[in-house]
Amino acid sequence: MKFSQHFGLFVRSFFLQTGWNYLKYQNLGLMFVMWPFVEKLYKQDKDAIPSVVSRYLATFNTQPVMASFCFGALAKQEEYIANAKTLDESNEETLEWNAIKRGLSITTASIGDRLFWGTLKPLTLLLALFIWLILGIHVFEIQQEDILPLTYVLAGSVAAFLAFNAIALFVKWQGIKISYNANNKACYGLTQFDWNRTIYNAKKIGLVLTIGLLLLGIYYYLRDFQHSIDVHFITRAVLILFFVCISFITRRLRIPNMYLYLAAVVIFNIVCYL
Amino acid sequence: MSVEILLLCLLAALLELDTTYAFQLTFSRGVIAGPLFALITGDWAAGIQIGVFTELLFTDINPLGAILPPSAVICCAIAVALDSLGIQLCYAFIIAVLGSLLFVQVERRVRKQRVNLLTSWEKQIMQNPRAINRVVFLELGACFLINFVLISLFIGVSATLAQWLQPHIPQRAFYACQFAFMAVPWIGLASLIPEFRLKKR
Repeated sequence: MKFSQHFGLFVRSFFLQTGWNYLKYQNLGLMFVMWPFVEKLYKQDKDAIPSVVSRYLATFNTQPVMASFCFGALAKQEEYIANAKTLDESNEETLEWNAIKRGLSITTASIGDRLFWGTLKPLTLLLALFIWLILGIHVFEIQQEDILPLTYVLAGSVAAFLAFNAIALFVKWQGIKISYNANNKACYGLTQFDWNRTIYNAKKIGLVLTIGLLLLGIYYYLRDFQHSIDVHFITRAVLILFFVCISFITRRLRIPNMYLYLAAVVIFNIVCYL
Repeated sequence: MSVEILLLCLLAALLELDTTYAFQLTFSRGVIAGPLFALITGDWAAGIQIGVFTELLFTDINPLGAILPPSAVICCAIAVALDSLGIQLCYAFIIAVLGSLLFVQVERRVRKQRVNLLTSWEKQIMQNPRAINRVVFLELGACFLINFVLISLFIGVSATLAQWLQPHIPQRAFYACQFAFMAVPWIGLASLIPEFRLKKR
């Protein structure tokens, strides 16, 4: 694949989810990403274009970052279809193309959801929180009159942004190249990375950082009240502990945090009026 | 509506595109959107706090498959805007969370409506495949406009309501809302532990 084609797929991949719909999910996005590549491939065979377009407009759904593996593999397979010598060969390659699209989109979605949404996003959130804490910004209870330097305000955000995107853009760029050059025996390049080990290690780091942040939060909390451990302190600590414990239960019941927060607003109001 | 609120609505409409429709560079995350909005209004401390609290509160819902999580951008935009208009942060945050939940319902309807347009778009693309470029950019423009109108409407209505209600809210209710607001990071951090639970490889 030429650099210009690779770059074209990469840039267009940022619009994969435009036109997302409940019927065929990312079908318009896939068509948008792949169209310049396909157009060039079928320059001499314009009659084939309607059937090619209808294939791209069929249902497609995967994780946006990991989708790059699908683009590379589909581009390679499209070349096989375009260069097929006989109709039988073309049909066979088309069947293979459909199998790649279906199989690879499910696999990449599973890896991408676990790695990017389930691990990297909360991990980079923790990174931002730690950076702000190191810079002296107590993110749990910021006083409204605090005057913060602009560099401090942006430090956490920029760190989270760069940490997430350095990995996401690397995977996005390399995914196209690797999957284009790999074959089905190498799962279209997916086996080049040990995804499970990466996710496992990232989750281990995340767990340590979360526990560290909880302890730091407790430390700041105790420090603020060190001269006056009174009824107010104990009530507050007990209520917060209650909601932390409840959040473990609601998590198991798949009740989102925001409903727990809204319930806390109602319960605290009732308690205040008792 | 002041110039800074108008700018905030424009930025929010743009960042909301990052949630689903374009880029996915995580500009739409709470920790990034909150401080960015605060750069417009000037209350940087509130921007960080709202951003962090929003992300911690929404950390347990991910956009897997067709799941539509509440929008962190909408939550941060409403909270920062209300804060800049003099509404207490604890009230602003409650209204913002409710606003983001309402936005999800509207977004769901917009997505359902898009299914009706899909047949016509596919027809255009089948006739002239280059039409995909026009379809995608028109869709992006339409999403931006819808986002801008909805965010402006949400902020306008909620600000009017909150400014009218705030003087009548009793002190006890203020303490209760403040207390619930302070519990947000603890609830969020506690939910991160199961998020990072280790499974056997």
